[in-house]
Amino acid sequence: MNPPIFIIIMLTVISGTMIVVTTSHWLLVWIGFEMNLLAIIPILMKKYNPRAMEAATKYFLTQAAASMILMMWIIINLLHSGQWTVLKDLNPMASIMMTTALAMKLGLAPFHFWVPEVTQGISMSSGLILLTWQKIAPLSILYQISSTINPNLILTMSILSVMIGGWGGLNQTQLRKIMAYSSIAHMGWMTAIMMYSPTMMILNLTIYIIMTLTTFMLFMHNSTTTTASLSQTWNKTPLITSLILVLMMSLGGLPPLSGFIPKWMIIQELTKNELIMMPTLLAMTALLNLYFYMRLTYTTALTMFPSNNSMKMKWRFECTKKMTFLPPLVVMSTMLLPLAPMLSILD
Amino acid sequence: MMTYIVFILSTVFVVSFVSFSSKPSPIYGGFGFNVAGGIGCGIVLNFGGSFLGLMVFLIYLGGMLVVFGYTTAMATEPYPEAWTSNKAVLAMFITGVLAELLTACYILKEDEVEVVFKFNGAGDWVIYDTGDSGFFSEEAMGIAALYSYGTWLVVVTGWSLLIGVLVIMEVTRGN
Repeated sequence: MNPPIFIIIMLTVISGTMIVVTTSHWLLVWIGFEMNLLAIIPILMKKYNPRAMEAATKYFLTQAAASMILMMWIIINLLHSGQWTVLKDLNPMASIMMTTALAMKLGLAPFHFWVPEVTQGISMSSGLILLTWQKIAPLSILYQISSTINPNLILTMSILSVMIGGWGGLNQTQLRKIMAYSSIAHMGWMTAIMMYSPTMMILNLTIYIIMTLTTFMLFMHNSTTTTASLSQTWNKTPLITSLILVLMMSLGGLPPLSGFIPKWMIIQELTKNELIMMPTLLAMTALLNLYFYMRLTYTTALTMFPSNNSMKMKWRFECTKKMTFLPPLVVMSTMLLPLAPMLSILD
Repeated sequence: MMTYIVFILSTVFVVSFVSFSSKPSPIYGGFGFNVAGGIGCGIVLNFGGSFLGLMVFLIYLGGMLVVFGYTTAMATEPYPEAWTSNKAVLAMFITGVLAELLTACYILKEDEVEVVFKFNGAGDWVIYDTGDSGFFSEEAMGIAALYSYGTWLVVVTGWSLLIGVLVIMEVTRGN
């Protein structure tokens, strides 16, 4: 894309999210969402093939429908409360429908169908922005209305999301679809804790963004999009092989890596609120996620995947891709667990 | 009739939306769009927003829909689909109109209707002159506030419009 246009469009994506996050007026929330949506469409369509066009269209339609539902219930909230401020006491019906609209934007089950298809149709770097930056705005609004969210609705959606994120990702070999189902499952974890401790949701979001950023960057480093091509990284860049191992374990939520922090904190907060079955179900269905991360690890780092002999002897070229900030990100995605006692400042 | 004018206009508004939502060719859909724009202007006028209603006609119909009409004319197809061309479009149109008419009859018959919020039959659509808004119309004061206190909103909306144009050009550029 033409560089000045690209800069303007990225600026609008960023400012759209910033407007949603920082505003106290419901109209500006809607405007921010629409700015974000409009500006990210050309980023999704960076490559001009029909697959990318179809993915961008699907994304646009679902997000526009969600924005419309949000706008309608903003106006009905205005009818009942007489003011436009984003406060925590919403009309209960408006709160339910706004949660539904924001769940459509996030890709929570049962509105998750667009996530794998859109993520698969676009390039790796666009998928990166889609799965990390685009989650910030809806989650910030859910944070602001978190005290009035209907528990039945949000907990149902979150359990369904974790289950669908787990089972849906099992039969996938395409890395972008795997990351999409991983995103659905992580959103489920985040919304589960939202009613009880929104701070833990922010913690989970932060660690999820760091881990997903690192994963995508490692995939982009060798331009791999399938499991089969990822299994050849031992020959191209051996360092990436071990990093993928550690990162997948972190994504799966295993101690002693940073991915364990949000899961631990969420289960702790849920049990403090006397929910027992829910964190048990969440933890058990998260094992499905761990299974397909393990499969990636197995084919990449632990075995030599079947291939021709000619693919086992490659020239090692220097990587020309600019992987800004990748080493600090890898460190942050794997080694933050010893800093977990710092969370006591929240008390 | 003037007491129920907003109700009547809203019903016809929905019917004109149905007429282009049933997806005929864009030329015929554009006709429904025009009618909807004009009726929307009428609804806004009935709430006292004379300036904004006429803005709808001028900018929305006279600017944006005209451009839409020209681009549709450029992209026209040899056999455009009208509402009676194929059964799917006709069925959707009839479904939409029927749903709207049934809703309107239900509102007119029952005394109190609760769909999302309660309102008493068609009487709630009547605009009484409640409240003393002083010598100035609230709508004109709102527009004045947009350009004085609401500078940030003007910046945001202006930027969004610019981005809309840039995005459309970027998407349709191809190659």
